Amino acid sequence: MRPFPQPGAATLLVVILSTCLLLLLFQKMIWLVLPVLLALMLYYSLCPVVDALVVRGMRRETAAKAVCLLQMIVAASLLVLVLLFLAKAGTWQNSFGRYLAGGQNLLRMTTGSLERVVPVFKKMNLGAQIDERVRQFTGGFVEKHLLPITLQLLVWLPSLLLVPYITYFMLTDSARLKKYIIKSVPNAFFEKALLLFSHLDASLQNYFQGLFVLTFLDAACLALGLSVLGIAHAVWLGLAAAVLAWVPYLGSIVGCIIVVLVAATDFPEQPWTAYACLVLFLGVRILDDFVFMPLTIGRKLRVHPLLSVLMLFLGATVAGATGLVFALPLFGVLAVIGETVSQVVTDRRLRARYRASRQLAASYGRV
Amino acid sequence: MRFFSADTNAQKVEMLKGIPIFHKLTRKEILEVDELLYERVYEKDEIVFEEGDPGHGVFIVVSGRLRANPTHESLRTALLDIGPGESVGELALFDEGPRGATVVAMERTVTVALFQAEFSTLLTKNKSIGIKVLIELARILSRRARQLMQHEKHLPTL
Repeated sequence: MRPFPQPGAATLLVVILSTCLLLLLFQKMIWLVLPVLLALMLYYSLCPVVDALVVRGMRRETAAKAVCLLQMIVAASLLVLVLLFLAKAGTWQNSFGRYLAGGQNLLRMTTGSLERVVPVFKKMNLGAQIDERVRQFTGGFVEKHLLPITLQLLVWLPSLLLVPYITYFMLTDSARLKKYIIKSVPNAFFEKALLLFSHLDASLQNYFQGLFVLTFLDAACLALGLSVLGIAHAVWLGLAAAVLAWVPYLGSIVGCIIVVLVAATDFPEQPWTAYACLVLFLGVRILDDFVFMPLTIGRKLRVHPLLSVLMLFLGATVAGATGLVFALPLFGVLAVIGETVSQVVTDRRLRARYRASRQLAASYGRV
Repeated sequence: MRFFSADTNAQKVEMLKGIPIFHKLTRKEILEVDELLYERVYEKDEIVFEEGDPGHGVFIVVSGRLRANPTHESLRTALLDIGPGESVGELALFDEGPRGATVVAMERTVTVALFQAEFSTLLTKNKSIGIKVLIELARILSRRARQLMQHEKHLPTL
């Protein structure tokens, strides 16, 4: 398969502007964007399963129904788990406070050690300053940050029920949707547009399938490492951290902080366990970048590192947390679409053919 | 329930069954193939594809007539008019080489096109259909090769 075309300067500008506009729109209708995005990921990941069932003689619709039913059972189980978790709000509020205190304790011990090793830090009163800053940030953390996030999650939960529904229609109707879209392309651009569309479709499929394999590998490595370190709920923590890593940059950091907080709380007298968790995360990150990613995603949507940072800042400025999460994936997809469209419409030969076709159609009174 | 209804009907199935590439397929198989075909209508004198274009699929004439205008002398005598049921551009299903001729619609022409990506899908997901279509394509290509060799006397018949 060919690599993605790289956008030119003008296309890039249009793509950046479109990304910002779409992020603004996404922020307003995040309840719909999230299920559609999840459905898209599931569609590309479940396609091979449906295809395998079709090859074994099952009708596509029956195969899609079977796969979606299984998916709905999993989604319902997750929903029940989340509701059970939320029902224990009082308990987990306390637990969260305990984990924050564990984190603060670790920070205190670390800065204390640093002050002993580097006298300048002691003169700067580093430990007390950091402690004060952290106390300011975490004071009323549950009320200030966690409760609004939980309430937002409760608002989103019903919309997540749309995921299996949307996935089902994508699995059964994707070929017709493609035909429907291609139908609107003029004859002159038809063959090239179809080819680029197929490349885009195949690459997205590779990307999402790769992402799921990558998540599995990350989760397995983290779970194994955390188990060796003796951290409780290693599998769940590993899985949560691997899923959080779907959010570029920020997700990995949040995942790492959660695991370090758990380690610091469960082993308050052994700060080395928390440091080992940190090293484990760094190790998995390096494995991810240099081994797993080239093996799984490989041809993922390539965005220049400078542009990545720029888009993250732009996304955060334009649409806050939503922008931060969606800026890079959206930019990557729009860059490919933008370049694909510009390749098709800027082809002089095809444009000349299109003009000739329009003239012919007009002369036959078909416009 | 379907958002994008299949515009397949008995008449269309019959029409597709009349096309040599698909004539060995059952009704059910035709319906499956139909999902992978792209229907296109070309006005008289409209170009379908040009010589040198990278080719990605075969065009099958449903109604109307196409004309191939190759610049290569030996091809000029062998292939010219493509009528209902006939196809043009089969080689593009197997490689991405440039088109060997410019093809123009001689009258308002309805075609169905099958492209590489969909053809690969057919071969991997439904082998029985894929093999039937592949055999018919091989027949068409071998017939074309023989025609060409008859015109070019210096070429030996293999």
